[in-house]
Order: sequence, then structure tokens, then C-alpha cells
Amino acid sequence: MRKLFPLAIALLAALVSTPALAHAFLDHSDPRVGSTVAAPPHELTLSFTQKLEPAFSGVEVTGPNGSSVGGKAQVSGNTMRVGIKGAGPGAYHVHWHALSVDTHKTQGSFTFTVGGH
Amino acid sequence: MNDLLIYARAVHFAATMMAAGIVLFDVCVAEPAFRKSPSSLLAATLRRRFAWIAWISLALCVLSGGAWFVLTAASMSGQPLAQICAQDALWTVLSQTDFGNDWFVRLVAACALAGTFVPLLSANGAASPRLKAAAAILAAVLVGSLAFAGHAIGAEGAEGIIHPAADILHLVAAAAWVGSLVPLALLLAATRKDSTSLAVARTATLRFSTLGIVSVATLLVTGIVNTWYLAGSVDALTETDYGRLLVIKIALFFAMVGVAAVNRMRLTPKLVADADAIAAQRARSALCRNATIEAALGTAIIAIVAVLGTLPPGSHANHHAAEGLIPPDAAFQHIHGEDGMADVTIEPGHVGVASAAVHLLNDDLDTLVARQLTLTLTAPAPGSKAVTRSGIVDADGTWHVNGLALAAPGNWTVAVDALLPSGKHLKLTAPIEIDAK
Repeated sequence: MRKLFPLAIALLAALVSTPALAHAFLDHSDPRVGSTVAAPPHELTLSFTQKLEPAFSGVEVTGPNGSSVGGKAQVSGNTMRVGIKGAGPGAYHVHWHALSVDTHKTQGSFTFTVGGH
Repeated sequence: MNDLLIYARAVHFAATMMAAGIVLFDVCVAEPAFRKSPSSLLAATLRRRFAWIAWISLALCVLSGGAWFVLTAASMSGQPLAQICAQDALWTVLSQTDFGNDWFVRLVAACALAGTFVPLLSANGAASPRLKAAAAILAAVLVGSLAFAGHAIGAEGAEGIIHPAADILHLVAAAAWVGSLVPLALLLAATRKDSTSLAVARTATLRFSTLGIVSVATLLVTGIVNTWYLAGSVDALTETDYGRLLVIKIALFFAMVGVAAVNRMRLTPKLVADADAIAAQRARSALCRNATIEAALGTAIIAIVAVLGTLPPGSHANHHAAEGLIPPDAAFQHIHGEDGMADVTIEPGHVGVASAAVHLLNDDLDTLVARQLTLTLTAPAPGSKAVTRSGIVDADGTWHVNGLALAAPGNWTVAVDALLPSGKHLKLTAPIEIDAK
């Protein structure tokens, strides 16, 4: 039984070097990730796999010309919503960062395209 | 910093279990046992020892809880530890996050519990039934609310209610059982002198037996519920770090149950039987030793739980990313797209020449087959040229790209373009952090 203590410590030591992986993943978005939509959306909605902490979660949306087109992100439950100021056709870049209620951070990005060719 | 967090959690869990356990033991096992015997010197001595343990455990609980709070706030806000107090991140975490709110409730519960210690554990045992009930409830709140600082929260729907409920019961049962082992061993050791104190040992052991059976049954049922939600599949138990540690925890639990079974079925009857006083004393001594062994097993379980909370749970909803162990010096990114996902591992994840491994997955987390795959890396500096290379697939379906020159550290952009059998292109782009050499 005395062997259990060093074993437990060894287990701890062996595992503390693993980087902590993320918890709240992007489940789906609207407009969908990588999709093309006809008209600029009024709002971007991101749905995550876990409930988020509003104080530490947000999203930046960049329009085709590189300017920021997203308003302030509204976070409730596992959903993040942000208003989009339409900036014409082209590729819109979305970068989100999230803190799940279980205290782990995640981030990610994707693009969607508006109209045109 | 992750190591510090694990140590803080380990100390905090052990101290909380000990503080809550000793209160529950005192109220449910010790005091009833003392009533049955007029030996007030024995009772006074034990109460004094319990008081020592209770105060020290609670102090450790509050201190380690503070450390856990500060370390978590630093991680949540991204602030370095040295600057954390200067920013208002601590206040934001305390007031605006579930973790912070729960921490504050627990601090209040700990202070209230401390308030009950003086009358509860006073040498003459004059605590009223209402005080005992209040102390027991506060102890249950202190340990049960740990559920809101772990993986049991965050899900939506039915799981969002059932999982925390199961976890609360799991924690209280664990504290009642594991936390009682040390005071039980102390009580058994102190009752070796004469037949009056043996009577105390008998009553205590029988009452603890009931407490133990209820706790084990609760732990078993709630443990299954928790495992169902967190591991999600049998594969996750063997293929994820989380799962493997969980298996060890379960094995240790059954080892404890094994010892408890010996206690209940062989030693307790001998202790309680009136006929042979010598056999009863030997049984008492054996029970004392076994309780100590169980306490050691319980401590190992607590150490494992301290690590488990820092790992991603194995289930689908929580573990989209790679099942294997990610090397500590690798850079990793999980990219989620409309037609599939990719796990990109760049090793080594610092300046120099690196190799990338790309694992494509569909929504069901099965490996996605592609006919071709290219990887594009763009350096952090604006206006950098993107470098595109083709990948080679191996027998597992993982794509490899070698000889990637990473000239500068920072936030690179990685883009995966996979040609699927349907003819569609799966295009995924994400930032990936490359460290300095």
C-alpha cells in the first residue's frame, strides 16, 4: 500500500506535461462555415458544444476590405450572436474566442462568402 | 502553471473531503457512539483530536481554494500570474463567471462551517441536534458545490441537470466515506483499553458500516452516470488520457470496496460478538489497520481527480480533437468546417524545420478519406508569402507534410485544402501558434 503514494505522484508527473486541450468547440454557425450566401447577413450566430462565460468570450468579424464589420457579441448559454454591418460581396473572416463554464479557453476562425461570383 | 493548478486542486479536494468527512463522521457515527458509553474522557480526547483535524483541514481548504481561484482566473483571462492582482480580472471572474460565483459560495460555506466547529467539537459534547444538523448540511454544501467547478456543468438540456445532480451526490458520498476513514482509525486506535471503550468501538463501527454501504451504493450509481456523460464510449476509456486515468480511479475504488467488504463481512462480526473479548480486540486492531489502508487508496483517488479536471473529457461533445497524446512541444489546432474537421499537429511547434500531420474527420468523428491534400502556411508578418505543399497519406489515413521551414515565431495561418472523393474541396483555415526556438 505504501507504493500507491509514489505511483500517484508519478501519474501526476507523467500527465502534467500534456497541454490542456480545448472544451467549447464550435458546433455550427449561421451562415455555415465555408458557405456562400446571396446577401450579407444581418447577424452571425455561433453555436458551441458547451455553455460559455460571456465575460471572456467574443468574436471579431472582418469584411472583404479588411475592416471590422461585427458589433458587440451577445453571449447566452452556448450561443454567441453578433450583428454584421454589411460590407458588400466577398470573403468575410470570423475569429472567435470562447471560455467554457468549465474554465477552459478555445479559439478558432473560419470564413464565409457573400454573393457575387 | 498547469502543475501548480493540479497541486492546488489536489490539496483542496483532500482538505475539503477531510473537513466535510470529519463533520459527517462526528455527527453520524462518533457522537451516537459516545452517547452509548459514559466514558467521557475517551470522548473528550477524541473530540479534541477531531477538532485539530477539522481546523487544519478547513484552513488548508481555504488557502488552496484561494490558490486554485487565482490560478484559474489567470488562465481564464490570459493574464500572467504576476499581474493578476493589478487587473480587475479577479473581480470579473469572481462576479461574472459560474466558477467565480461557485467559489464565493464555497468560501461563505467554509466560514459558516468554521463557526460550528467550536460548539460542535467542544470537549463536553454539548452541541444541540440543530447545530449538528446545520454543521452536517454546511459540510455537504462545501463538498457538493465542488460539482460546479468541474466538468459536470456546461451541457444543455437534461444532461445539464442530471449530471451536476449526480456529481453533487458523488462528492458528498465520497467525503462521507473517504473523509471518515481517518477519524474512524483514530477512534478504533483509542478504544483498545477496556470493555467500555470497546463498546464505543462497536457502535461506531456498526454505524460507520451503514454510512459506508450507503456511500458506496451512491458512488457506484452516480459514478456510472458521470462516466456515461464524460467518457461517452468504451473507446474513450482506452484511447484518451482522461479515460485511462478514469479506469485507474475505478480500479482503486473497487480495491477500497474490497477492503470494506472484508471489514464488513469478516471483521465487524468478530468485533461485535460478545463471546470472545480477545478476538474482538484483534478485530478492532485489524479494522483500524484496514481503515488506514482505505484512506491511502482514497488519497490516491483524490490525486487522480485533481488531474482529471484539467484534462478534456473523452466524450464526443467534449473531445472533437485528436484522441492520441499530443507531444508537449508540438503546435496543435483543431479546425471545424462545414463539410468536415481537421486536426493539424506541427512538430516541433517552434522555429526551425517541422513536419505537419493532418487528420481529417467527419461530423461523426470518423476519419475522412481524401484523394489529395495540400497544406498552406503563411507567416505572421503582413504580406508574407504563403507556402503550399502537398501531403502524403499513411496507412491510418493521416496526411503528412515534411520539411516545413518555420522562420519566425508568432501566429501563423494554416490552411488545409482536401479533395474529397465526391469532388468537393474541404477548405479549412485557422491560426496556429509557433513558439520561438
